[in-house]
Amino acid sequence: MTLFHFGNCFALAYFPYFITYKCSGLSEYNAFWRCVQAGATYLFVQLCKMLFLATFFPTWEGGAGVYDFIGEFMKATVDLADLLGLHLVMSRNAGKGEYKIMVAAMGWATAELVMSRCLPLWVGARGIEFDWKYIQMSFDSNISLIHYIAMAAVVWMFTRYDLPKSFRLPVTVLLALCVYKGFLMELFVHVFLLGSWTVLLVKAVLTGAISLCSLFLFSLLSTATK
Amino acid sequence: MFEEASEVFDNMFKSSFPLTFIVFLPAVLILVSPLPAEAAHEFTVYRMQQYDLQGQPYGTRNAILNTEARTVEAEVLSRRCVIMRLADFSYAKYQKALRQSAGAVVIILPKNMSAMPQDIVQQFMELEPEMLATETIVPVYFAMEDDELLSIYTQTLTSSSSQGSLSAAEVLLHTATANGFQMITSGAQSKAVNDWAITSLEGRLAGVGGEDLPTIVVVAHYDSFGVAPWLSYGADSNGSGVSMLLELARLFSKLYTYKRTHAGYNLLFFVSGGGKFNYQGTKRWLEDNLDHTDSSLLQDNVAFVLCLDTLGNGDSLHLHVSKPPKEGTPQYSLLKELEMVSSSQYPELKFSMTHKKINLADDMLAWEHERFGIRRLPAFTLSHLPSHRLAQRSSIMDVRSVSPSSRYGVGEPPAGPHVDVKKLSRNTKVVAEALARVIYNLTEKGAPGDLQIFSEQMVQEEQLSAVVDWLTAQPRAAQLVDKDSSVVSTLEYHLGRYLKDVKKHYVKADKRDPEFVFYDQLKQTMNAYRVKPAIFDLLLAVCIAAYLGVMYLAIQNFGLLYSVVRRITQPKTKAH
Repeated sequence: MTLFHFGNCFALAYFPYFITYKCSGLSEYNAFWRCVQAGATYLFVQLCKMLFLATFFPTWEGGAGVYDFIGEFMKATVDLADLLGLHLVMSRNAGKGEYKIMVAAMGWATAELVMSRCLPLWVGARGIEFDWKYIQMSFDSNISLIHYIAMAAVVWMFTRYDLPKSFRLPVTVLLALCVYKGFLMELFVHVFLLGSWTVLLVKAVLTGAISLCSLFLFSLLSTATK
Repeated sequence: MFEEASEVFDNMFKSSFPLTFIVFLPAVLILVSPLPAEAAHEFTVYRMQQYDLQGQPYGTRNAILNTEARTVEAEVLSRRCVIMRLADFSYAKYQKALRQSAGAVVIILPKNMSAMPQDIVQQFMELEPEMLATETIVPVYFAMEDDELLSIYTQTLTSSSSQGSLSAAEVLLHTATANGFQMITSGAQSKAVNDWAITSLEGRLAGVGGEDLPTIVVVAHYDSFGVAPWLSYGADSNGSGVSMLLELARLFSKLYTYKRTHAGYNLLFFVSGGGKFNYQGTKRWLEDNLDHTDSSLLQDNVAFVLCLDTLGNGDSLHLHVSKPPKEGTPQYSLLKELEMVSSSQYPELKFSMTHKKINLADDMLAWEHERFGIRRLPAFTLSHLPSHRLAQRSSIMDVRSVSPSSRYGVGEPPAGPHVDVKKLSRNTKVVAEALARVIYNLTEKGAPGDLQIFSEQMVQEEQLSAVVDWLTAQPRAAQLVDKDSSVVSTLEYHLGRYLKDVKKHYVKADKRDPEFVFYDQLKQTMNAYRVKPAIFDLLLAVCIAAYLGVMYLAIQNFGLLYSVVRRITQPKTKAH
């Protein structure tokens, strides 16, 4: 399409990040540099993951349409490194829990936005061919912002040494859900043969549910430990 | 935030090189990234003829296409690419598109052309010469139908036809859901091909019995012609003539190898190129033989020249002459022999002589024999067509039929012109018999009319069929057959098997005053990109702005949600 279309997609993808950054009060904490650090950690973790995947997971050469269940599951397991990375970012920042979570999640999600969506948008949405997938990609980046905030919150709760015993199980389940969300989505798509818009909707609903659950837990925890 | 950012950049420049590298390399890559050609659909298109003949331009003069597609039903066609299907094609629609200054015309042809209804094929064949008669400024392309292209056509049709009587809301919805298509060709502008050589081939069988023997010349042109060069397979015109010539060469080469049957006539076979462009190959060959060399078979004692043109079908044979032959001449005896053979051996075959004077004022010569007639050589053309104006001689519909059942005369014959091998073989036999009777002077020796010199097995149907198959396996338009092409080299090999002194002749147009000019870019790849109108972008921008506004409010009032959550969780914690 045109540069205008690229502008549309870019605004859709980027502005929620900007609004979140402004409204969450991170800008008042001078948190920009810390977000950039979180982003750098994201890059480092992705690099490690890629090296690991390339070394230990040879490319699956099964027939077309055959879903390699175990292989995909193992690959999704490598995403546990994301949790480590988020923990690393949060452990290096001192401050209130909310602040730590927001900094880590914002930096992480923005790094992902820049690294994995800017280039396809620039190349694809500016091309002659129109495709809804660039709008969908922009929506997807909004969803992943919420996803990373929830994930960072869960990681923060999990790593608290004063976490009550009764919280241990739900937090672990949420953690597992966060890591294997992508894998679950792929499985859904494969089993139910979903269209691209339905996938987006399912993803939004799933992410919304996970983040609501973690919000509940977070609020419970903050009242319980008071 | 921006002050912070500049601080960060300062720090980055001062402290670490790798970080700078990581940030700036993608930036550079992003700025220089080219736009990829990722098309919704990519297909091959064949451009309409473009050539100049005797300084007169014909066909389409343009090759570049970059416009949005419409069907002819749309109200505004100017600077749009009009796509039509052959089934809905008519000259009125074509003219309408050109009058409204359309950007281009793309005509979608069905995959199996011979399965089309008779009247559509006939109508299109009549239109082909009309489309070529004058020059067309905009590019005209032909494409083969496939599922993708058909879907593009139907989507364009729905978006073109239904915009007159809708409400504003419906139009808005329509712009969001309907697809437009941007058609783009990959190639450059067409330009004249310099120094294009048209190749012709000759070979001979020498007779015995003294000096200055009479010579019989058998001529057929091998090139084909149609509205698009890459689609002209020319099965009947003139694949049938060439295959008959090769078969005659084979039969007489057999007779000429035995002493008892070696006759006192020289046989000269000539496969000419550029036949559809006013017989350029023949013209040059005559000039070379008559004007430039001292000794040539054509210079002295030519009995007659027999041109073979479009002989693969029909139940009549027409001997086209520009001057009725006088009694006692060899032409007259061939005429009589043809009459006798067809009447006594094949009663169903109607043989007749058609007389038409050479019209020198005409741009185009009617038949190939007129080239010889102008040089005062006794000549005539044999064809199953009663007139040179018939569209069968220059149509892309003239293909070898696709289904094998109709190929062998079983089942439904194809609608357009085609080659019926049985009839081609019968015609070949008639010509061979008549020629043999002239050469051996059998009638004067008292041989009966139904005497068969060649048995049924000698005229090989498979051989004829194979040659026609091979000739129609690739388009043979004069613009496509260059001097190294497989058509020419295989023809040369074939002639060399039966004939002596096989030679190639080349014609190149004069540099300053070219008699014919061909143009390139006849076959291109066209891309159809899915696009949306500009209003759609605006609509999308409004929607996104609204969405972002809602997002802003939601994030601003996140505290509300959080307090609701707290209120729900509070009593539980008290119960703890």
